[in-house]
Amino acid sequence: MLLRFTVLLLLLSQNYLYAQNDLSVAAIPDSLRKNANAVVRLDEKIISIPSIKSLQVENKRVVTILNEHGLGYINAAEFFDKSSNVKSIQAVIYNSAGKEIKKIKKKDFKERSLSEGSILTDNRLLYLDYTPIAYPFTVVYTSETETSNTAFIPQWSPLEGLYVSIEKATMQISCDPELGFKYKAYNFEDGVLQADEKGNTLQLTVENLTAQKREEYSPSYHKIFPRVLFGLTNFYLEGVKGEAKDWNSFGTWMYDNLLTGTDELSKETIKTVQDLTAVTDSPIEKAKIVYEYMQGKTRYISIQLGIGGWKPMLAKDVDRLGYGDCKALTNYTRALLNAAGVEAYYAVIYGDRDKRDIVEDFVSMQGNHVILAIPDNNELVWLECTSQQLPFGFQGDFTDNRKALLVKPEQSCIVRTHVYTGDKNTQISKGGYTMTENGAISGEIEIVSAGLQYDNRYTYATASPDDLDRIYKSRFSNINNLKLHKTDLKNDTDTQQFIEEIAVEAQSYATKTGDRLIFAINAFNQISSVPQRYRDRKNPLEISMGFYDVDEVTIQLPEGFTVEAKPDNVTINEKFGEYKAEYIMVSPNEMLYKRSLLMKEGLYDSADYDAYRQFREKIARNDNAKAVLVKN
Amino acid sequence: MVIRFFVFTIFILSFCNVQGQQFEYKLGDVTVAELEQKKHPIDESAPAAILFSKGETYMMYQKGEGFKLVTEVDMKIKIYNKDGYSWANKAISYYDPGSNRETVDISKAYTYNLEDGKVKKARLKNEGEFTEEVNKYWKVKKIVMPEVKEGSIVEYRYMITSPLISSFPEWRFQEEIPVNHSMYTTKIPEYFNYTPNFRGYYIPKVSKKTTSKNIAMGGSSTASPLNYQEAVTTYELTDVPAMKDESFINTIDNYISSIEHEITMISYPNEPIQSFSTTWEAVAKTIYENDNFGNELNKTGYFEDDIAALLSGITKPEEKMNAVYNFVKNRMNWNEYYGYSSIDGVRKAYKEKVGNIADINLMLTAMLRYAGLDANPVLVTTRSSKIALFPNRTAFNYVVSAVQLGEDMVLLDATSKSALPSILPFRALNWTGRLIKKDGTSQAIEMIPKSPSMESVSVMATLDQEGNLSGQVKEQYYDYNAYAFREGNSTLSNESNRQRLEKKHNGIAIEEYSIEGSKDLAEPVAEKYDFTHNGIADIIGDKIYINPLLFFSIDENPFKQEKREYPIDFVYPRQDRFMINITLPDGYAVESVPEPASIAMEQGIAGFTYNIVASGNRIQLRGVMQISYATIPQDYYGALKDFFQKVIEKQGEKIVIART
Repeated sequence: MLLRFTVLLLLLSQNYLYAQNDLSVAAIPDSLRKNANAVVRLDEKIISIPSIKSLQVENKRVVTILNEHGLGYINAAEFFDKSSNVKSIQAVIYNSAGKEIKKIKKKDFKERSLSEGSILTDNRLLYLDYTPIAYPFTVVYTSETETSNTAFIPQWSPLEGLYVSIEKATMQISCDPELGFKYKAYNFEDGVLQADEKGNTLQLTVENLTAQKREEYSPSYHKIFPRVLFGLTNFYLEGVKGEAKDWNSFGTWMYDNLLTGTDELSKETIKTVQDLTAVTDSPIEKAKIVYEYMQGKTRYISIQLGIGGWKPMLAKDVDRLGYGDCKALTNYTRALLNAAGVEAYYAVIYGDRDKRDIVEDFVSMQGNHVILAIPDNNELVWLECTSQQLPFGFQGDFTDNRKALLVKPEQSCIVRTHVYTGDKNTQISKGGYTMTENGAISGEIEIVSAGLQYDNRYTYATASPDDLDRIYKSRFSNINNLKLHKTDLKNDTDTQQFIEEIAVEAQSYATKTGDRLIFAINAFNQISSVPQRYRDRKNPLEISMGFYDVDEVTIQLPEGFTVEAKPDNVTINEKFGEYKAEYIMVSPNEMLYKRSLLMKEGLYDSADYDAYRQFREKIARNDNAKAVLVKN
Repeated sequence: MVIRFFVFTIFILSFCNVQGQQFEYKLGDVTVAELEQKKHPIDESAPAAILFSKGETYMMYQKGEGFKLVTEVDMKIKIYNKDGYSWANKAISYYDPGSNRETVDISKAYTYNLEDGKVKKARLKNEGEFTEEVNKYWKVKKIVMPEVKEGSIVEYRYMITSPLISSFPEWRFQEEIPVNHSMYTTKIPEYFNYTPNFRGYYIPKVSKKTTSKNIAMGGSSTASPLNYQEAVTTYELTDVPAMKDESFINTIDNYISSIEHEITMISYPNEPIQSFSTTWEAVAKTIYENDNFGNELNKTGYFEDDIAALLSGITKPEEKMNAVYNFVKNRMNWNEYYGYSSIDGVRKAYKEKVGNIADINLMLTAMLRYAGLDANPVLVTTRSSKIALFPNRTAFNYVVSAVQLGEDMVLLDATSKSALPSILPFRALNWTGRLIKKDGTSQAIEMIPKSPSMESVSVMATLDQEGNLSGQVKEQYYDYNAYAFREGNSTLSNESNRQRLEKKHNGIAIEEYSIEGSKDLAEPVAEKYDFTHNGIADIIGDKIYINPLLFFSIDENPFKQEKREYPIDFVYPRQDRFMINITLPDGYAVESVPEPASIAMEQGIAGFTYNIVASGNRIQLRGVMQISYATIPQDYYGALKDFFQKVIEKQGEKIVIART
């Protein structure tokens, strides 16, 4: 059996050896040069998994770099650590005519650590440091790596990014049939992916993927770019065998192998927690006390050394040292909650401002972050344990609204994290300003932010006066010569609201033209940016964060002036949201400005993009609407 | 015109005997009061503060190995809030290529907390100490202090032992957080002479004394110990505020209070004196005599045939210079490594067409000399590195070439494809360079551009009755503006450039876009585009208000802070010229146009003028905005900010047209 397997592998490898001789740039079809800074002529990966403890990858990559912006696609680099190694690595450079000009051997590749700042890891990088002498040029890169971990078969994303086209990409995987190899393809248009399964070998091929351009308000590339996930039902991770049949059993495996035995605490700590939480019977109240206790006692340090990359540091060590990474702090909080008699689950997730789900229909090792979930009636309260500042139960846009794996002793499952809808991400502003006959203004405003708008603000509370000066001057950049007289900030963690009380003054806010003063009525909350125009929008439109702003501002006009012109009230209703502005003369010298904007989060067709852009253009124009005062 | 443009002040450190109440720099002495402190008494928003930092660098003799530099540092840091937690971690980089290596030793590391009114300490154990190999030459020792909370005090001591006696460590009196007390002592045996280089706005007190030391010359041998004198110098600063970063600055490192030492002399007993740089001339000479500089400059064999062929038939010196310069610039490719000395040699670089700064510009200089021109290398400090206040070799990290053409000196840098004679990459535009002649003598060369680089904007636009504007724009970039444009934009696709402009001028839509002159570097580079803009005019009642500079007006003051501690660095002087023609819609006539403007800053530092003429249905504006100096001292910050404010106000004035 073993012999047959090897022979088959050899035969297959030969079939797919690089057979393309013409490395000249002239051989690249025009369709692949369009919008491309680099063209991947061939990206061939051959993965073999002869046993549960061995995963070998052979890479062959031929990429033509058309200009300096494409340098990032050379991609002649390999990561490695203690349980993996780079057996061979080489690059050969060809000029635009396809003639060899330089060969770089393993000893001339550079090596560096991937640790930086508060991140400690034993992952290292071996990379090609090549200075091009002319564009275009072609790099033929080959490498062989092996690792004893089979929990992660690298996912295959043939379209590697923006402004790069793919002539041909192939992925071949041969696997010991005992291990239960599985794969699933996502986001491929019909007929693009050629899949060929023979015996224990899967061969995937795509050809002629054209270069994509950057487009604002696109969904994250995980959602739209083609990719294939691979996995093994039976795998091996840093000395432990595992099984990924369904989420339930996979979760149980994680619990048993990565969490069990890590949550022990000292008697003193258990007593401290029990004493602290004795004041209430409510589990959620207890959880809040424990969370705040943990926040006051720990800080985030990422230590990803050896098995520490997968298994949390012991809770009693976190308790003693007062630091840990996301796994350590989450697991520690779980242990503290257990001591207080509160149930809590370790939850694996992709932490990213670009929302990314754990792919539910593909059971495998996924995620890059860990948070904690506490059942409260029929809901889950989510805790970010790496933050020493977020209020209890506040999630923010790093982990909100996406699928997560709840790791439990039994009945592990996929759930969705908290969803912040637009109407809950509020900013309520109330205030006023007074204008002098020279066009100067002075005023005060109170701004209360909640939901994801709270997330954008709460760090101001600890900013230095210099930073605050900078923050407000850039936030109110429409007011030139702004002077801040007061910035009283309050982070109300109980209500999860951020309250700003600000007093400002500015010379020459209004433009003087002869006897007239012209000024934009909306001084404190202008949204002036308009999304980029595209002649041919391809991607769907995603508004990833909805919000709701309400402004009420009273304007005292200078004595001796009358309002010559003011904008008409306006209401704009679109499927993306609703904008309203009213200009009410309360008395000859007092105007009340009322504005509201509800922006709805959502995914829309690419054809809707232009309408959205126009909606934003109308908002920008109305936010900058002006009044004219004339001297009596 | 006389204007004080000295950006850096050279301090004369006054020596005195420190008297009165002395602060005690002692680890392990943490009080309840210190732990109870909630905020820094002077800077209430400080997330942490250095209660004290104490450093001492001395030289230790090791038999068989000679003198080593040893630096011991004691730190005591107060953490006020969670934003200050990163101060409870420390990373120390050290040189460790296997042999002749530095070592780092950490000790006395504790975290102090207040528990039930008592001081409780937790020791840093091995588990909190990490060593990381950055690359073949460098390692980092990292420590993560235990049990850190708001209010904690952390303390640690570290010792760096280094055989590299010419790399004296830098001491910083100032950090991103306040430093209450900082003391640094150097103890230097009489055999060595180091010159201290001080920078920053806060000046330490200095005291000096001399003590006797001896070296035991081996165990039981009969040799008597060697006696020598040691110069002990102590620098002390108290209440140093946190440093602030600001925009329009070359590098913040120029302004941090710190001290460095440059070795100038070694004189061991019974050995000849080794002397190093003491003057800029001596520095230049030392560099010149370095094999990787002077030798590389004198090699010619590898290029003679190519250059001889290149120059055949060319007789005029300027044409020769251009031919050689373009040849090197086109052939060679910069590998992004700085340095004034060659690493793998010019010959190899020439063959492989890749080299560091020195390879390329020393090769250029050698070829220019071979062509019979009076060419010399010029040592430079790049914008991203600190400017040296005293002569020393480490002051320079870059080299360009200078050619004397009659009366004129032309600077050349062949490491950037968009550079030209006298137009150098921005990284080289810093302070003064030092030109070294063949005989090793040298002279200072001003590197900062003096004459303004122009940008000219011309617009032909038509306004319609709905307030929509459409027209054509041509923006032409000269000199350094052209350099910046070519480096940044001319390699982008037309579509990306269109999008860049649509972002920059919010509200415009661009249809046709083209670039002219991106390849011919002798010409200015121009971008031309057709645009429409539907949101530029305000229609209020039966009047239309429009900004005469259209979307080219400055709307936001780049200077927002109330005061400034560092000079304002514009990199090069600039002049922007505007010529804008607007045709009015039918049925409208001009009601008013803004008065002519002439706003000038004192001593001609900056100026703005414009004049608007209306005739019939056409309005024409001509205007000039100028910044006359590359760097403006901080004393003028208020005036500069006011100038921008006045310009913004003036540019905000509208043309008013009314229905007839």
